[in-house]
Amino acid sequence: MSDPIAQLIFLIVKAILLPVLIVLFVAFVIYFERKFAGFFQARVGPTYLGPWGSLQSFGDIFKLMSKEDVTPARADKPVFKLAPYIAFIPAFLVMAVLPFGPVGGEPNLFGYRFDYVIANFDAGLVLFLAMCALGVYGVVLAGWSSNSNYSLLGGLRAGAQMISYELAMGFSVVGVMLMAGSMSLVDIVDRQAGNFWDWYFIPQIVGAVIFFIASIAELNRTPFDLAEAEQELVAGHLTEYSGMRWGMFYFAEYVNLVVVSAIVSTLYLGGWRAPLEVLDFIPGPIWLFLKICVLIFLYMWIRWTIFRYRYNQLMSIGWKVLLPLSIANLAVTAVVVSLVG
Amino acid sequence: MDAGHDLPTPDAAAGATHRPTQEELRERKARTRRHLERTGEVMTLSMGPQHPSTHGVYRAVLDLDGEVVLAVRPEIGNLHRGVEKLCEYRTYHQIIPLTDRLDYISGFAMNHGFCEAAEKLMGVEVPDRGRYIRTIAHELCRLANHILWLGTHVMDLGTQTFFCICFRDREYVLDLFEMLTGARLTHSFCRIGGVAKDLPDGFDQRCRKVIDFLPKRVAEYERIIKHNRIYYKRAKNVGIFTAEDCYAWRVTGPTLRSAGVARDLRKDEPYAAYPEVEFEVAVEYNADVYDRFLVRMKEIRESCKIIRQCLDNLPDGPFLAPDAGHSLPVKKNVLRDPAAMIQDFYQVFRGPQAPKGEVYRGIEAPKGEMGFYIRSEGGSKPARVHFATPSFYHGQAVPALVEGEMVADVVAIFASVDLVLGDCDR
Amino acid sequence: MSAERAMAGGALSPSLVTAAERLERRFGARLRGRTEFRGELTYRVAAGDWVRVLSFCRNAPELAFDQLDCLLGDHLPERTEAPFEVVVHLLSHAHGHRLRVKTALAEGEGLPTITGLWPSAGFDERETWEMFGVVFHGHPDLRRLLTTDDFDGFPLRKDFPLQGTVGGRIRTDLRGKV
Repeated sequence: MSDPIAQLIFLIVKAILLPVLIVLFVAFVIYFERKFAGFFQARVGPTYLGPWGSLQSFGDIFKLMSKEDVTPARADKPVFKLAPYIAFIPAFLVMAVLPFGPVGGEPNLFGYRFDYVIANFDAGLVLFLAMCALGVYGVVLAGWSSNSNYSLLGGLRAGAQMISYELAMGFSVVGVMLMAGSMSLVDIVDRQAGNFWDWYFIPQIVGAVIFFIASIAELNRTPFDLAEAEQELVAGHLTEYSGMRWGMFYFAEYVNLVVVSAIVSTLYLGGWRAPLEVLDFIPGPIWLFLKICVLIFLYMWIRWTIFRYRYNQLMSIGWKVLLPLSIANLAVTAVVVSLVG
Repeated sequence: MDAGHDLPTPDAAAGATHRPTQEELRERKARTRRHLERTGEVMTLSMGPQHPSTHGVYRAVLDLDGEVVLAVRPEIGNLHRGVEKLCEYRTYHQIIPLTDRLDYISGFAMNHGFCEAAEKLMGVEVPDRGRYIRTIAHELCRLANHILWLGTHVMDLGTQTFFCICFRDREYVLDLFEMLTGARLTHSFCRIGGVAKDLPDGFDQRCRKVIDFLPKRVAEYERIIKHNRIYYKRAKNVGIFTAEDCYAWRVTGPTLRSAGVARDLRKDEPYAAYPEVEFEVAVEYNADVYDRFLVRMKEIRESCKIIRQCLDNLPDGPFLAPDAGHSLPVKKNVLRDPAAMIQDFYQVFRGPQAPKGEVYRGIEAPKGEMGFYIRSEGGSKPARVHFATPSFYHGQAVPALVEGEMVADVVAIFASVDLVLGDCDR
Repeated sequence: MSAERAMAGGALSPSLVTAAERLERRFGARLRGRTEFRGELTYRVAAGDWVRVLSFCRNAPELAFDQLDCLLGDHLPERTEAPFEVVVHLLSHAHGHRLRVKTALAEGEGLPTITGLWPSAGFDERETWEMFGVVFHGHPDLRRLLTTDDFDGFPLRKDFPLQGTVGGRIRTDLRGKV
């Protein structure tokens, strides 16, 4: 079997296995979110299905699939039905460029070279930002097509919020790009080789914090969950959705959570690399998985602890604090990189 | 006791929240009205009656310009049960269970208020022990109400965790109520001339335990909320309602006290055992959402103090007036004592005989001043009963409170004045 | 016992006595009646004097009733010539006293609104209108408040039955108008 055919087989296996694994993982992320929320709130969370309620998400999926799917009479039906997919699919596409282990080098599997990435794409970072922007369409279209004022307000808020936070996010990412000299996520991880003090979160601490905050806004989670602010807008853009269509939005949100956590760890926390070189004997995917878990816990912790911002406060943070800071960070990085390198 | 108290409020962030003057507020409201008249380009959002944070079935039709509220039209009545009509067909004893369905969050206060009004009408003297037990129950009910208020108010600002924590703490108070009255929300515990039962065994001890740790919990709440930057930004200088506004719209209770008015019917027109206990009226001066929170936290502390004093000084003696003409007998005596049995028959079948006349009695319910008007033409049934409930007027004042603010503030302000729709719609 | 108990016996508070003297000096014989019961003072006024008396109550410094505690209607069917009553309870924060003012109305007779004096009368007047059929002239928004929009009858009148169905169906032609 020649190498290109082997690579093709590997590619198909990776392209099937990775989404499936992530979907399975997401089911448990949802379970853990509910369980942690329970613990934070002096409750126990789900307990019925499976040991400690661990199969709750699967039960939910079956429940959602068996529920009636209501489309409002005066909704824009094609768009209304399309919106969940627009929210759902971009989240998965980012996985293609996500390195979860070493790429290139010596043959490592049955005498063939197995790359731990689906597509070693030169502009992986751009793809990530593009998919983030595309995901907004799902929310905005859902809000617009529902023909409900709550949905519309939620969609408008989501649109404005995501656009203003994407700017700060983009600028903070450029800092990493300058340091790595590449837009490929594979290269960015390779540049962070070594121990944890070689990771980018130390030189790029400002950028890392801005990226993290902006990613909370991207993910629509408290304190920036204005799009579906339950207490104000009932469920924002999700108000009119029911059954599995609602489930797809919900699921997309958590797939996004996993993907964004993976991106944060790739950009700033050394991706699949071990924190110390002596720990390199543990495979890369496990390290990446652990980092994702820690980040997801952090997101949950924030979500279940603090209050929601008001719309104008959210905007002023985005435009008056995060954006100038990220530009300043970019300028400093550019000067330092050009002087040193 | 409360470490949270010593921390400074995050006034450093005050630069971010400019406190509007009266003129600015008036100008802001006028500007929104002018905009509404000039452009007519508004988005109408029907908030409620089925909405997560209208605290029941309140409906506010909002006219929005983007996120800014231009005008509000309140719609109430979805929970109207015609209590006033029902009261005209029932004896005074039978009305008591209707009253705790008004403000079902603080049922005992409603029972108590009606009994005070009926006693004023009939001229019944409540024995000392009865007055003290009433005071204890009334303050417990204030505790339950304010803790629940805190949970829902904070949830309206976006944190669900705290809601559950408040519910956990309210549970201790409800357990006390269960022990005292047998019910958790709708107690029907007050009687004309006293209360239904004496304090049960072990109540004293258990109650003390709860009122010992609740102030600690309040300090904990304040550490979490009072010094939270986002809460401060969301609540400070939002929903300003000055004393004059409060008088004009009959907004009472903690909202009035947050505007710097030390008005508390427990002090001003004392009833039950309030003249004999020492407590402070919680007053704040900024008249915004943040100060309403502070006022209620202070009131929880004061309520604990009142309950402790009542437990310490609880007098012996009867808890129900031995007034055969107007009050029910002690229940456990009914099947033992012939006189009590006759009294029971008389009261149940004939009812208390009230003189001709009309009375109005205001009490300080947890949500504000609750007025009870009874007109009697003699006999056992009132000719007209009217409940001047705080929530009714708070619901009416919502437009004056929120016009010119943002959508997100609507729920925050709405929650901060504290209304419950059972009370509002009657 | 407490001052409150003593008051229940019938004594008026000193500030209220002063206020009552002032009110009587101003209106004299135009006040239709004065009742004291359990320390509460009630004045009856003619419907024509309604706003004049109440605005005096609000504005005169001795009275200074800055808060309207409640406004309610009442129905006394045995009084055939004027079976309806409108009662207001006033409260003065400055003096801490209360006053009740009431007026009698015949069927179909209305009253001028007092929302200009106390905005909080708005809901109360709407409620009184829907429950008793007393019209308040000049009210900015006199619609049904607690009952449905197609409700028929005035439920708190004594001749309105306690049980039965009135206007129980849901009207779709009102959609968008409420």
